[in-house]
Amino acid sequence: MSVLDALQATLADEHAALYTYGVLGARTSQASSPALFETLTAGYRRHRARRDQLQLMVRDAGGDPVAAEPAYDLDGSLLRPPQLERAAADLEASSVEMLLALVAQSTGAVREWALTEATWSAVHRLRLGEVAETWPGAPELDRA
Amino acid sequence: MALLAPWAVTACDIDPPARSDGSTDSEPPPPEDSEHVTAVVVALVRARSVVEAATLSVPGLTPVLEPVATAHAAHLEVLAGAVPDADVPTTAPPRVPADRARALAAVRRSEQRLLREVRARCVAAASGDLARVLASVAASTAQHGAALADPPAGGDVT
Repeated sequence: MSVLDALQATLADEHAALYTYGVLGARTSQASSPALFETLTAGYRRHRARRDQLQLMVRDAGGDPVAAEPAYDLDGSLLRPPQLERAAADLEASSVEMLLALVAQSTGAVREWALTEATWSAVHRLRLGEVAETWPGAPELDRA
Repeated sequence: MALLAPWAVTACDIDPPARSDGSTDSEPPPPEDSEHVTAVVVALVRARSVVEAATLSVPGLTPVLEPVATAHAAHLEVLAGAVPDADVPTTAPPRVPADRARALAAVRRSEQRLLREVRARCVAAASGDLARVLASVAASTAQHGAALADPPAGGDVT
């Protein structure tokens, strides 16, 4: 896999993440769950900036940024705040894994950016109710 | 399982998951990565000693710091076998104040220092597989640092 392929795969994942965050945010009441709403909004904004940066990186690498799908499969039964929070936490776990793959395939500024974003997603999982992990994004190393 | 040499790290424990086409990258990392692995092991040993010292100074911190100690041990298990024993430091244990808040602050500073070292070595690594492992170590270290700075409800660390 080339750096460009890894960037495109990460961008495709970010399109899906952004869609998912939009749906989760729409299903969250700002009035009754203000903390969760704020956390989901922070996630949406971060992933939107990440998508924009990836599109630039793909172009810099000589590629044509992969487009978003019209829609993505999302469990329609996710309605209660704990379910929404868990879905966002799972999304961030997948993002860490995807970004670590980009770390492996890249060097220099792209790798450093992917590392920063992976670290952000890992820490954001704590705000979504998860606990600190030993091997975020690399579950095959976790023998516990 | 401890490892025996830097090349064994890539060939064994820190391989990424098999790719969709079934192929794997078994090419050993360049020798210059040994320096990066050694630096991270040294930083982990130092951070571990700070956690141990804090636990000895303030035994009540043990349950709070146990997850950090567990992560250090797991990270060292994967990386330390690739470093010759002579390169692993045996420095005197650091002195940590017998005050809960100050001891915790010392651990936080130590984890931040560890994070900076792991990040730098991740970016500099020639092997992508090693960089991926170090990125996971960095993400874990950042999580534990954040958890110590902003404990969950009921987690009294002050």
